[in-house]
Amino acid sequence: METEVLKHVEKVTSWLPRLSHDKRDTLLKFGVLAIAAVLSFATRLFSVLRFESVIHEFDPYFNYRTTRYLTENGFYQFHNWFDDRAWYPLGRIIGGTIYPGLMVTSAAFYHVMNYFNMTIDIRDVCVFLAPLFSSFTTIVTYHLAKELRDTASGLVAAALISVVPGYISRSVAGSYDNEGIAIFCMLLTYLMWIKAVKTGSIYYGTLCALAYFYMVSSWGGYVFLINLIPLHVLCLMITGRFSHKIYVAYSTVYCLGTVLSMQISFVGFQPVHTSEHMAALGVFGLCQIHSFVDYVRSKLSAEAFQKLFKTVVIAVAGVTLAIGTVLTVTGKVSPWTGRFYSLLDPSYAKNNIPIIASVSEHQPTAWSSFYFDLQMLVFMFPVGLYFCFKELTDANIFIIMYGVTSIYFAGVMVRLMLVLAPVMCILSGIGISATLQNFCRNMVQCSKEQKSTKKATDQSYPYKFEVSFSVVAILGLSLGLYGFHCVWVTAEAYSSPSIVLSARSGDGGRIIFDDFREAYYWLRQNTPEDAKVMSWWDYGYQITAMANRTILVDNNTWNNTHISRVGQAMSSTEDKAYEIMRELDVNYVLVIFGGLTGYSSDDINKFLWMVRIGGSTDRGSHIKENDYYTPQGEFRVDKQGSPVLLNCMMYKMCYYKFGQVYTEAGKPSGYDRVRNVEIGNKDFELDVLEEAYTTEHWLVRIYKVKDYENRGI
Amino acid sequence: MKTHLAFALLSCFLVSTDVLANRVKQGSLDEKIMQLEEWSLKKPAMRFNGEKFRNYVKNTPRNYSIVVMLTALQPQRNCAVCKKADEEFQIVANSWRYSPFFNNKLFLAVVDFDDGGDVFQALKINSAPMFIHFPPNGKPNKRLDYMDIQRFGFASEQLARWISERAEVQIRVFRPPNYSGVVLVLLTASMIGGLLYFKRNNLEFLYNRNAWATLASIFIMFMTSGQMWNQIRGTPLFHRNPSTGQIMYIHGSSQGQFVIESYLIMLLYAAVVAGVLLMNETSKQNLEPGKKRVFAMVGLIIFIFFFSLLLSIFRSKYPGYPYSLFL
Repeated sequence: METEVLKHVEKVTSWLPRLSHDKRDTLLKFGVLAIAAVLSFATRLFSVLRFESVIHEFDPYFNYRTTRYLTENGFYQFHNWFDDRAWYPLGRIIGGTIYPGLMVTSAAFYHVMNYFNMTIDIRDVCVFLAPLFSSFTTIVTYHLAKELRDTASGLVAAALISVVPGYISRSVAGSYDNEGIAIFCMLLTYLMWIKAVKTGSIYYGTLCALAYFYMVSSWGGYVFLINLIPLHVLCLMITGRFSHKIYVAYSTVYCLGTVLSMQISFVGFQPVHTSEHMAALGVFGLCQIHSFVDYVRSKLSAEAFQKLFKTVVIAVAGVTLAIGTVLTVTGKVSPWTGRFYSLLDPSYAKNNIPIIASVSEHQPTAWSSFYFDLQMLVFMFPVGLYFCFKELTDANIFIIMYGVTSIYFAGVMVRLMLVLAPVMCILSGIGISATLQNFCRNMVQCSKEQKSTKKATDQSYPYKFEVSFSVVAILGLSLGLYGFHCVWVTAEAYSSPSIVLSARSGDGGRIIFDDFREAYYWLRQNTPEDAKVMSWWDYGYQITAMANRTILVDNNTWNNTHISRVGQAMSSTEDKAYEIMRELDVNYVLVIFGGLTGYSSDDINKFLWMVRIGGSTDRGSHIKENDYYTPQGEFRVDKQGSPVLLNCMMYKMCYYKFGQVYTEAGKPSGYDRVRNVEIGNKDFELDVLEEAYTTEHWLVRIYKVKDYENRGI
Repeated sequence: MKTHLAFALLSCFLVSTDVLANRVKQGSLDEKIMQLEEWSLKKPAMRFNGEKFRNYVKNTPRNYSIVVMLTALQPQRNCAVCKKADEEFQIVANSWRYSPFFNNKLFLAVVDFDDGGDVFQALKINSAPMFIHFPPNGKPNKRLDYMDIQRFGFASEQLARWISERAEVQIRVFRPPNYSGVVLVLLTASMIGGLLYFKRNNLEFLYNRNAWATLASIFIMFMTSGQMWNQIRGTPLFHRNPSTGQIMYIHGSSQGQFVIESYLIMLLYAAVVAGVLLMNETSKQNLEPGKKRVFAMVGLIIFIFFFSLLLSIFRSKYPGYPYSLFL
């Protein structure tokens, strides 16, 4: 097969300068790979070109803030950092509650660049880190697919992954999040694992453990990895492929990997006492037993061995069961955590934890989002699987298991599409390159024959050349379509920073709404240093990072009751809300309002979640979702809307003085352009708040909480 | 002074008559509660007929909430929903009966159409099942005390939430563990175990690659066609436009999908995959030359056709999607 490819390569590269086969081969491979890597960097730059080099969305702002802290104060300060700007009055220990891999990586880049006198701002390092790592991912994918099948598959897979939207969605320039580097780490670990399995060397096992350590330090998704590798080993045992190579590889990886992963303070002792990690430990034990049994078998007679084997199996099963029960009952082995449990039982989160159900990333995946994010990979994936099954090797079994498990997780939770995308690319790469190779070989053969015999002899079948040509052409066309699709999706769906909004104006020009930053800078310049700002948790990270003010709740949703308290304040009447706000020491309240511009993900549209979360705790039991609906069960803000809604804090803050504004021609004043209705409650004054600032397009409105009135007045 | 005294006397008199009247009422009220408690200890969801309904629900005095399920459980009524609703209601009733907060502030009752048709008439109800909450004083509120099954469904969690909202008690639903699942698992496990035991000399079939490959492919297409989404969201089979009667099999936006649609997509995926695999059959050595050509062409046509079809369905869900292939 390799020689065939080489021949083909020779034909295609005839225009290149005269070089030996090997050199041409290398040049071509290098060329394709370099183009793929550059492409994967370049496609992720849409948002930088359209807007500017800004950090996107919400979580990245937190990561950016911590990275800045790390570069300014050094690692030890960072590690001991207690943040009093978040979760007022509780605060948050940051050093011990995050995965530091991302921050350390960018800080390292920053310091290296500065050492060589390339003065680059830390923000720019953060913005461009994800695209850079996706270039690295492209190269790792090539090596991984090459280990699994051949060079050609590697090249196709690298080209596919460079633009796959499922991965781009999380790694565009500015989306500075753990996933950006975690996918690289994950694929690197897999590559090293497969090398270790193939060679059985401690060297590659150690490299795999190191890559795993990097993965653990950067993303909580490492749990998937530490379950997948043992599963692979288990499967190899069942299929009778267990050998010394695998024994060496797994023992090295497990021991070193576990010890290393425990160095991350957020992970701590979890690898030895939570049930997510128990599979790895169990398989490690099983490995020892398996090799011991093999050893004993080689020393004993068959009959004696049988007897011994039976007794030992029964005894071990009994003891394991007993120990497992005892540990679970005494609570040494912690039960499944909520987020993880929601993966295994899909309806768990929906019924039990409103805060998980409210995050759109935790929703299941419809077929159209699979297609949107993966396009033709969706159906080339089973084709690749077919080729893997055709020639099963240890490595192929691994990629099959990776594919099948990750597709389950991606189906349950849309954000795990990210884990699925690489394996889709690898397997589709295998499928596509195998098909192309089949028919390209036919074409090459045909043209050779034509040259040699000067007439079209159809040795294998009639119209061989024509048929092969059309197959190759159609596949080429589909691949082209894949490219167009991916670029279109990236440009349309995944390249908006969501901190700066843009819209088309009537004359086709682009209008930029920069209200968020305007508001945050206003807070930074005009409020006292120690002011406490209350807002819904979505905006917490942005406020701390950009306005540098203390906030009550943020996107790290660890304290449900605290968030619920804020939800209660937002959904109560003014005087009730005032009590809560005084209790929480709030100075300013910030709401996002889209009624003037038509920005649909504003606080009124999120409001039902505030009500649900607010009502989910004991102190908020007086808040009932039903009260906010009309008798027909609709959520509306016009005259028919429920009076409770029309008089709650959130409504008043959003629509304060909105009743006097004309938003659209031919409509009455106070016409909400998101809900497309005239608002129901127009003339009201605020008693306990005063308007402090409203941005240019009314996207952000900030209110100051009035102090208690003086006694005796 | 005089006026004061007169006032005091008057109020005294008022109080005493009030107490007297109350005592009479109290007697019957205590009896009622005792009776209700006794019944509900025996059967958490009490069966009421028309008379009992009038006595314990309609008639004042009453200082307890009562939640009544109006239903039609007789087989000849042919109400499949009622059965399910009844099961859920029984779960709630049992959870309440055995909960640590159990008190005499809330009782649960069932009125069957065939026991108390007059209740249905009195309440002007012509559909079942129906959940109504009768607050301790006053009449049920049309909006709040009639549970909206259309919107919430009648899962016991929803029921419990609604009841605890209306009656201001705490109910924690405790579903009796579903033994049918365990039995099923045990049964399959024993069957597989048995199969393995009988075939223990020849376990080759476990290593049958084709079987595993087919299983894996089916699983993948099951997932990529969004069956998990259907499972979690509980989408309808298809949508019938109520005004025109037109049936829609494909959801018009990317936000949703129907069950039929997802199966259709699954078929399309399978067809495209089959097309590609058919093309690849040509690489087999032991195939007739003529067949190879046919395979390749048919595979190619299947691939193009179904891929284009898929693309056009996708385009109909994403308005503004610019690409298409032949169709």
